[in-house]
Amino acid sequence: MVRVVGCYFNTMKLKYKNELIRSMKFLGKKKDTIFIGQSIKFTGNAIYNTLTEVPNKKKIEVPVFEDTQMGMSLGLALNGFVPITCYPRFDFLIVAFNQLVNHLDKIKFMSENQFNPKVIIRTSIGSKHPLNGGVQHTQDYTEVFEKVLTEVKVVKLKEPKDIFYNFKKAYHDKTKCSYLFIEDGDFYNSK
Amino acid sequence: MKKQDLINFELDIKKIYESGKIKAPIHLSGNNEDQLLKIFKKVNNKNDWVLSTWRNHYHALLKGIPANWLKKQIIKGRSMGIINKKHKFYSSAIVGGIIPIALGLAKSIKLKKEKSKVWVFIGDMTFETGIFHECYKYSKNHNLPIKFVVEDNGLSTNTPTNETWIKKSKIPKGVYYYKYKRKYPHHGTGGWVLF
Repeated sequence: MVRVVGCYFNTMKLKYKNELIRSMKFLGKKKDTIFIGQSIKFTGNAIYNTLTEVPNKKKIEVPVFEDTQMGMSLGLALNGFVPITCYPRFDFLIVAFNQLVNHLDKIKFMSENQFNPKVIIRTSIGSKHPLNGGVQHTQDYTEVFEKVLTEVKVVKLKEPKDIFYNFKKAYHDKTKCSYLFIEDGDFYNSK
Repeated sequence: MKKQDLINFELDIKKIYESGKIKAPIHLSGNNEDQLLKIFKKVNNKNDWVLSTWRNHYHALLKGIPANWLKKQIIKGRSMGIINKKHKFYSSAIVGGIIPIALGLAKSIKLKKEKSKVWVFIGDMTFETGIFHECYKYSKNHNLPIKFVVEDNGLSTNTPTNETWIKKSKIPKGVYYYKYKRKYPHHGTGGWVLF
């Protein structure tokens, strides 16, 4: 049993986070993957706790510069890497909207399929329990992103059983498209 | 590619544009041939990457992209975003958009221990943006193989950079910089075209 801010969770039953850890371990073993984001080498957010099985040499800890991080991820992908680019909260991914929409999502069209970079984006809807992060830390913009993105596939991870399957599918996807995975912070402690 | 070849290419595009055959904006280069010819002597056309802006024709030609291929792309309306994988050339019509991408490319080169470099061509207004300064700082502190070139024509579309920023920032160490006077308008050729 683990005590978290006054609440008790039975860690044995929590599969959601474990499936994320399993998925990251799988991706971390691939030669061409690289993990990029803030708080991926150091504690500070929930996503960090899912990267414990990924060796530090596969991680690029970056400053807070979300849009630059997305552009860097695309640049890494153009030269053969499969970046797993991590945004701890959906609210923070908004700051990277420019590079995501104007570049990553348009590159196949702009390059007439010469470039088919694969970037795997992870973000999470901020949890509301036991602490509510408020309106700037808990938003779910899934529908907005689904409407705007035409090439990047948007996948909401609702159930533990979907997680490993979808990350594995994204990595092996032969159409070489990029993916945006939307996790739910509350599921880390409830599913 | 010689100075007159560059000039003639743009004159050819100008003529085609004025005939109404290009149904998209074009941003012609001019008056900066000498500076670019000098800079491109340092570019390894086989291995290096070049990232450019909407005004990219000269950069593309000097990177070794065949003039005929480039011309076809421009006629297809793709002038503002010329991309050629074989020649490691990427351009974008979003101000500052290429800089983070260049940073990622440079990081990948370092991780893979490759010998190549990334060359990034930006205008003087883009140079003043926050995105340039954070990327420059990151690249310098991480010793990434990237070279920035600031092409200062004093204008962003038709807005004088000095009018908006009052004064320009100091060019940081290791950044190439040159000044020139724009030969053509921001886009188009300055004449009325009937499509």
